[in-house]
Amino acid sequence: MIATDLQKAQKAKRKRANVIEFLVFTFPLLFFLSILYGTLLWNVYVSMSNWVSTAADYTFTGLKWYSYLFGQSRFWIDVQNNLKWLILGVIPTCVLAIFLAYLLELAPFPGVESYVRTLILYPVAMSFVVTGTIWSWMYQPEKGVFNTILGQLGIDSPLTYTNDPKLATYWLILIFVWQYLGFAVIIIQSSFRTSELQEMIEAATVDGASKIRILISVIIPNIRNGILVLVSLLLINTLKVFDIVWIVTRSGPGIATDVLATNMIVTAFDQRLASAGAAIGVIIFLLAFIIVVPYTIYAFRKWFE
Amino acid sequence: MKKFQILFAIVVICSLLLAACATPTPEKIIETVIVEKAGEKVIETVEVLVTPTPAPKEKKLEIFHWWTAPGEREAADAMFAALKDAYPDITVVENPVPGGGGTEHRVVLKARITAGIPPDTFQTLGGAELKDYVDSNVLQPLDDFYAETGYADVIPKPLLNAVTINGHPYSVPLNMHLENILYYNLKLFNELGLSAPTGYDDLIAACKAIKAAKPEMSCLAVGSKDNWSDVFVLDTIMLELGGPEYYVKFFKGEIDVANDPIFKESLQKFAALQEYSNMSDHSTLTWDQAVSAVGSEQAAMTIMGTWAIGAFTKGSNWQPGVDFGAVNYPTKPDRILLFHPDTYGCTVGAPDQEECMNWLKVVASPELQIPTDVTQGGMFARTDIDPKEFPDPIRQEMQEYVSKNPDKLILDQHGTILPNPAQVQYRVIISTFFASEKPDVEGTIKAVADMMTTFNVKEGASWYQWP
Repeated sequence: MIATDLQKAQKAKRKRANVIEFLVFTFPLLFFLSILYGTLLWNVYVSMSNWVSTAADYTFTGLKWYSYLFGQSRFWIDVQNNLKWLILGVIPTCVLAIFLAYLLELAPFPGVESYVRTLILYPVAMSFVVTGTIWSWMYQPEKGVFNTILGQLGIDSPLTYTNDPKLATYWLILIFVWQYLGFAVIIIQSSFRTSELQEMIEAATVDGASKIRILISVIIPNIRNGILVLVSLLLINTLKVFDIVWIVTRSGPGIATDVLATNMIVTAFDQRLASAGAAIGVIIFLLAFIIVVPYTIYAFRKWFE
Repeated sequence: MKKFQILFAIVVICSLLLAACATPTPEKIIETVIVEKAGEKVIETVEVLVTPTPAPKEKKLEIFHWWTAPGEREAADAMFAALKDAYPDITVVENPVPGGGGTEHRVVLKARITAGIPPDTFQTLGGAELKDYVDSNVLQPLDDFYAETGYADVIPKPLLNAVTINGHPYSVPLNMHLENILYYNLKLFNELGLSAPTGYDDLIAACKAIKAAKPEMSCLAVGSKDNWSDVFVLDTIMLELGGPEYYVKFFKGEIDVANDPIFKESLQKFAALQEYSNMSDHSTLTWDQAVSAVGSEQAAMTIMGTWAIGAFTKGSNWQPGVDFGAVNYPTKPDRILLFHPDTYGCTVGAPDQEECMNWLKVVASPELQIPTDVTQGGMFARTDIDPKEFPDPIRQEMQEYVSKNPDKLILDQHGTILPNPAQVQYRVIISTFFASEKPDVEGTIKAVADMMTTFNVKEGASWYQWP
């Protein structure tokens, strides 16, 4: 009898401890989740209300503002531009990063390599506002660096960079690639540094494979986790791109370089259509969900295979 | 569990105590008194209950404004100095948010209003922007203020209309910015024997002469990064072709845009100006960079509001009447002034009502308007201030014209007759038109017509009365 009582008491004590532990660990998590997803849900609700001026109006209107957005040519220009960013911001950065990282690995001067790595990492430490401002100076058609250099070389440059409505977005993406390249190189390079991969490279070298062959057949298939991290980060960053566009062109010429994020600010605060702005926010979120989540699941599966 | 209950009780008690501290309660104070007891004076200590007098309410006023750029900052300081002179006991709490025209300002202000803690008073344009605040029940009607001060009698009627929504004035204007001014390189014009253009044909003729003499120089500098400077140019063309009544009707949505010959011709003439403007870089220039293009002799002219005077004198070190000239444009067929005001109103439910009303009195006074407007670059809202208060001949002349011809003033599309959602879209449509290599007249007309129906401009702008 006594023994069972003791056991019971101990059990109860353990249970109590468990409750406290449970609270300690879950409370911060719940707090975090409620702020993050609470505001997210709230935003979804606002996008279905009828908030069109300064004062909030939470009358439920269903998908009215979504259909308004789909009827606007500006929205479709945004979607196209966002897709350009997604494709041209991610793929060239990754490919260039893999090549650069490999070149650095092959560099015959190991002492210098670490300095070079630091150097190419610097751009990512700068804020987009700074990069954007500097690049917008360099892009100036009349007195910018690029056209001046071309002029010195005797080429009368017809390029107007971000002033050309057709090409402006591509020039903006170039800034992004420049800024993220160093960061991408570091991630790729660190994934080279596993002993298994180094052994495989050694084996391939002994077998007489060429350097390019090693890169394509040995290294790339074996740095999947590095590429996974890099591609997810780049996808997220291109999808939410705002600052470069806002600083360099302010969506111009006209709205040629407009993206969803800049449109969201203009719609919600300049046009004061808060609900429509919230709707754009929901669409950005859904896009991220559709693009990033399946990729991550796919890549993780491959990783753990 | 018991520990938790105790803790909870302590928290409750503490919060009750804190709440109690907030209101003045009688306090026990130990006083020494001299009491006469049977002829002898004895010093005794007595406990007395004393209610402390509440501390005098601090007079403060929270002001939201967007004047943070060089030149504007000084103007804001001039405003607060005028307030200090009139009411030395009011402490100003500033919440300046940087950003010309108030884009960032709106983000913060909207958050504050939605949260139910609006500032006492905030800067707003008149017209549709003001109407938005009025419709949202953010601002108080100021009928009493206007009746008491007689401010309506000393400002032009069109200015009063710009701050009057549904028959009630809601804010107090402290200036008027004129939009349609042509700035030109005076020395160049003298050298080439040109006079200031009065209309579109003159402008083209002048451009041809400049192009012939200085092929490297662009004739008309435009900075359309913010999507509004280029719209100013179209405004002048529409004003010249259609006249003031047409201009007002157009932006009130009372014109059938799809079949309107005047708008079509305006767009064609606007597109023809591409040849004479800085097409290679106007999309990435802001208005002040376009002004400095004139200042650095890369361009000969620019169309910009009164605020550009400061950019010329401070930014390029050019003197009015010596290095640059400025005229209202167009002056054919009639000299019309497009304007928008900066104004302040009092918010509903703000804590410092009395201070806010005092602030508005100062805003309406010449003591504030003279130093502020001279510094910031607008015209005086009051027509009874001596135009000679302006240091430059340009504004002296324009202020004189305003005082004599208040009926020539029209609220401009910039600040604004069009409701906010429509106005932003209109600017984007026109900027896209002017930036494209082959401007699409028909497509633009259709886009503007669609915009007028999508945002129901006819109803949204019906509040505006002109003349």
